[in-house]
Amino acid sequence: MELTVAQMAEGVRRANHAMVDLEQALNAADAKLGDGDTGSMLVRVIGGMAAAAPETATSVSEAFGKLARAGMSATGSSLGTLFAGAMLLLAKQTKDRPVDWADLSALVGAARDGMMARGGAKLGDKTVLDMMDALAAALEGKTDAAQAGKAGIEAAERTLEAYRDRPCKMGRAKFFSEKSVGLDDPGMLAFAGLVRALATAK
Amino acid sequence: MKKLMNDPAHYVDEALDGLTLAHPSLMRDGSAGRVIRRAEAARKGKVGIASGGGSGHLPLFCGYVGQGLLDTCSIGNVFEGPNVDSCMEAIRLADGGQGVLRLYGNYGGDRMNFDMAGEMLEDEGIRCTTVLGTDDIASGGPDEIERRRGVAGLIYAYKCAGAAAEAGADLEEVTRLAAKAVAMTRTIGVGLAACRLPSADRPSFELGENEIEMGIGIHGEPGIWRDTLRPSDAVADEMVERLLADLPPSGAEVSVLVNGLGATPLEELFILYRRVHKKLAEAGLRVVMPLIGNYVTSMEMQGASVSLFHLDEELKHLLLAPAECPFWRVG
Repeated sequence: MELTVAQMAEGVRRANHAMVDLEQALNAADAKLGDGDTGSMLVRVIGGMAAAAPETATSVSEAFGKLARAGMSATGSSLGTLFAGAMLLLAKQTKDRPVDWADLSALVGAARDGMMARGGAKLGDKTVLDMMDALAAALEGKTDAAQAGKAGIEAAERTLEAYRDRPCKMGRAKFFSEKSVGLDDPGMLAFAGLVRALATAK
Repeated sequence: MKKLMNDPAHYVDEALDGLTLAHPSLMRDGSAGRVIRRAEAARKGKVGIASGGGSGHLPLFCGYVGQGLLDTCSIGNVFEGPNVDSCMEAIRLADGGQGVLRLYGNYGGDRMNFDMAGEMLEDEGIRCTTVLGTDDIASGGPDEIERRRGVAGLIYAYKCAGAAAEAGADLEEVTRLAAKAVAMTRTIGVGLAACRLPSADRPSFELGENEIEMGIGIHGEPGIWRDTLRPSDAVADEMVERLLADLPPSGAEVSVLVNGLGATPLEELFILYRRVHKKLAEAGLRVVMPLIGNYVTSMEMQGASVSLFHLDEELKHLLLAPAECPFWRVG
């Protein structure tokens, strides 16, 4: 089944709506490991993406491009820039071609690899990359929104659980990685929250 | 911990408004007003120098825009890198046709945004080079200098690169001298109390009433040790010993920067300098142009950093060359 611009715009709307509840929880999670602004930063980034009117794009690639530019204007934080940079990469990857839900696994994988090259983190460092890696695997062979949503939520929950008791090896938290044992990484937590919001209609 | 502000969301823009109103030599530019540049346009034929970083460190970064220093500076939110747009705009506005040196601290977000800006500017034909400040000895051993954070010592690289560019050096030469200045600078900080972000309702970390932390970063990154407060002389002795133990082979002259992190009285910085000077003299080093004051701050963090900039004739000449910006005048 083909992924449409309308579905993307609906996804951004849901993500933006979800940030109302996620903001403080993410700030609190970040306050334990960083400077406590992950939620507020993502509110700006995703709010900017919603305001960029992705529904007016004439292709999936153009919609990703709009989201990338809006995200880049909204922040300079590492996580926000990585997120917007991934959108730019997806705009290039989907240029001049229709995109199918079955392509999503490969696209998430490409975004993961692009973010890894840009940010310098590795898989296993307990970052958003581990979440994306799990999601790419979970989306393999899923051909519509319902299947992708269900698999995505399961993968996100499982990955948070699996990494909770491991140390963070990237970002400001790497300087005191033993303190991060038992805590969720704010980037992973944000990604899980957004996957949940995207997959659950309200 | 209180702040004189209106809305935390307007903290940075209102500060930049005030800065440029007070100093007509500076101008806000860029699509979101997040580039500070010299009021006069980039000089044709001069190599441009662009810097950038998060807010919360004034006079760093944008306070060093001026004659013999930086041409432009992109500004992010408090402790958050400048966005890609403002990095691109800062590079473009610094370009006088001879290329632009991007000179900023070694932080993931800043690096990422300047790199992306560079990639997006490739089609515009502006030649760019990059030098990163990596002077903080607490954030990596001598064998992993590329991992070290950039802190107060970055201003020596600003000064030397700026002097070279002003004198007409080409991009390769300005880049070489900036890298040489970074290589000859070492800094260590000490923290007595934490800072608070404008949007947060509590300090960004806890430091006990009678505690001190050696090697703390300018965003409160953890240091080397934390212990009970001790006399200033003992603190100065340890800082100088650590700095001298880390330096590459160097000459007999050194510039010293004793820098306040935002909430330390100048008196305390002079008490610290008094001992630093003595220790350097004992080590056979002559101090050239000591700098004591708030040069690179961390909001209202209490504490100080000490930087040593080891000089040879080339670097000394660049350090002493005339320069002028709102917060620093030389010659």
